[in-house]
Amino acid sequence: MSASILETKALTKAFGGLTAVDKIDLSVEAGKITSVIGPNGAGKTTLFNLIAGVYAPTSGEILFQGNPLGHAPPHKRAALGIARTFQNVLLFDNMTALENVMTGQHPRSRYGFFEAAFRLPKSHREEEAISLAAKRYLTLVGLGMYADRNPLSLPLGQQKLLTIARALATEPKLLLLDEPGAGLNALEKQSLSELIRRIREMGVTIVLVEHDMDLVMGIAEWVIVLDSGQKIAEGTASQVQKDKKVIAAYLGEEEAIE
Amino acid sequence: MLAALKKHKWSYVGMAACLLLLVLLPTEYLLAEKISLLTAVGVYSIVAVGLCLLMGYTGQVALGQAAFFGLGAYISAVLSTTHNVNPWLAMLIAAVATGAFAYVVGFPILRLRGNYLAMATLGLGIIMWVLFRNLSQYTGGPDGITGVPDLSIGGFVFDTDLRKYSLIWAFCIVILLISQNVMRSRAGRALRAIHGSEGAAESVGVNVTQFKVKIFVLSAVYASVAGSLYAHQTNAIGPGSFDFLASVLILTMAVVGGLASVWGAVFGAAAILILKIEWIPEMSKMSFFRPLFMSGAAYLISYGLLLMVVMIFLPNGLFVSLRDAFDSWRRRRTQRGVAG
Repeated sequence: MSASILETKALTKAFGGLTAVDKIDLSVEAGKITSVIGPNGAGKTTLFNLIAGVYAPTSGEILFQGNPLGHAPPHKRAALGIARTFQNVLLFDNMTALENVMTGQHPRSRYGFFEAAFRLPKSHREEEAISLAAKRYLTLVGLGMYADRNPLSLPLGQQKLLTIARALATEPKLLLLDEPGAGLNALEKQSLSELIRRIREMGVTIVLVEHDMDLVMGIAEWVIVLDSGQKIAEGTASQVQKDKKVIAAYLGEEEAIE
Repeated sequence: MLAALKKHKWSYVGMAACLLLLVLLPTEYLLAEKISLLTAVGVYSIVAVGLCLLMGYTGQVALGQAAFFGLGAYISAVLSTTHNVNPWLAMLIAAVATGAFAYVVGFPILRLRGNYLAMATLGLGIIMWVLFRNLSQYTGGPDGITGVPDLSIGGFVFDTDLRKYSLIWAFCIVILLISQNVMRSRAGRALRAIHGSEGAAESVGVNVTQFKVKIFVLSAVYASVAGSLYAHQTNAIGPGSFDFLASVLILTMAVVGGLASVWGAVFGAAAILILKIEWIPEMSKMSFFRPLFMSGAAYLISYGLLLMVVMIFLPNGLFVSLRDAFDSWRRRRTQRGVAG
């Protein structure tokens, strides 16, 4: 692993007596698609929330582009270039699809209340750039024609694509996708895989948490396996599939990895 | 610019209609009979629109807006009456002081998630009213302050009802336009995002606490400006205008008009003031209602009933519901036009 964009060092998060993430060391290579997998309760989403800054680690640290993130809140991490989507979508239902994506441009624009109140030239300039960028990202995920729709009027598959567009609009270096495939049909998963590859080609590093093994094995260039808060294996998809500890962790859980 | 004009065509039409109405309204009949009501609609619209920005757009519930309204009125009145400060300067000082006060109160509360703001502002409203009433050496106690001077520009004194009406509505229109511009901007999207989901708003880089505090302070400044205008309009103020019932009155205006709508605030203020000043006193003449009129109970009951009915049947408010109905009627009509 050469240039790593994200590293965690002995990262630990305990909720009372439960250690959800237990001394995890990992390194995410820049420009690659990395997948974090593991059975339910393995600590995948907690790991995401630690990286995104929703939780403060109990101990250990997270380095982004070599700099420790410390206790930086989520909005600062977004500005640094860490974007995320949520398992439960969390779209803004009080605005249109396009406005949702425009909100994503928040850290890449500056004008505030005053410029807006008096419609100063700066607000026009920035607003035009924001709306152009948002339309571009909306088109990228294939929702260009739904710009004026309320996000909740879209089917779940498109809602998930919309959250990806919103996250991309923050112009991230690292994109965290929390179960992007959950609830999608086979066709939608197919186009999701293609979209994720296209995003990688734009130079964005992707880390995804995913339950769907077909999706993971199809696109992940590096797979990290968690179980009970610990990292039990990592490698390429085919390496991980043969790992005895991984098979054991998954046994009794759904089907073993094919 | 043209595209923006086209996109928001109906809101500009609405705005033009409002302006026309405002110019035409002060007819002789109204001048004689209702000008103070129309002026009061302007004053309360300013307070209500602040609450709409805070509650309707950002989702932060505040129940003590009368505290800031009263602070503006009292600071203006005290400075311009007993200390001979220029009324405009007094208004500015009041706005800055009230904004600073809202910041000090709001910052620790708005850092927390959940509706702590509702509880805190409820308490604040009650405390401020007690202070207005009991700090007699400054506020005149229950009698309040009289002899508040009129506002003036150069030699032009805003001393007649029509002049006061014009001045207050000029302020109101400017504040409504500013509010509308802000809500359609980057900051407005950030505020609406907070309402939608604080977690998601943070994830796209919105400093949630900072924006919540900013909009809380802005709503307090609006209320303060309205309070100053009110003091100079009526030339006399007392604690009765800034009690808990006043906060409920403002809340009802914002809810009835439609929380997530800037122009709805005017609609709500007008509807509630007509109810308060015209209808409830009329009802009090009917023997059936008379027992309700002990100690202002009729007002509380009316506002409470209205809040319940609107929340249950028209949760977007009267104004927004009417506008949506109009929109869908227009859409049906154009569709039929295309089909035919």
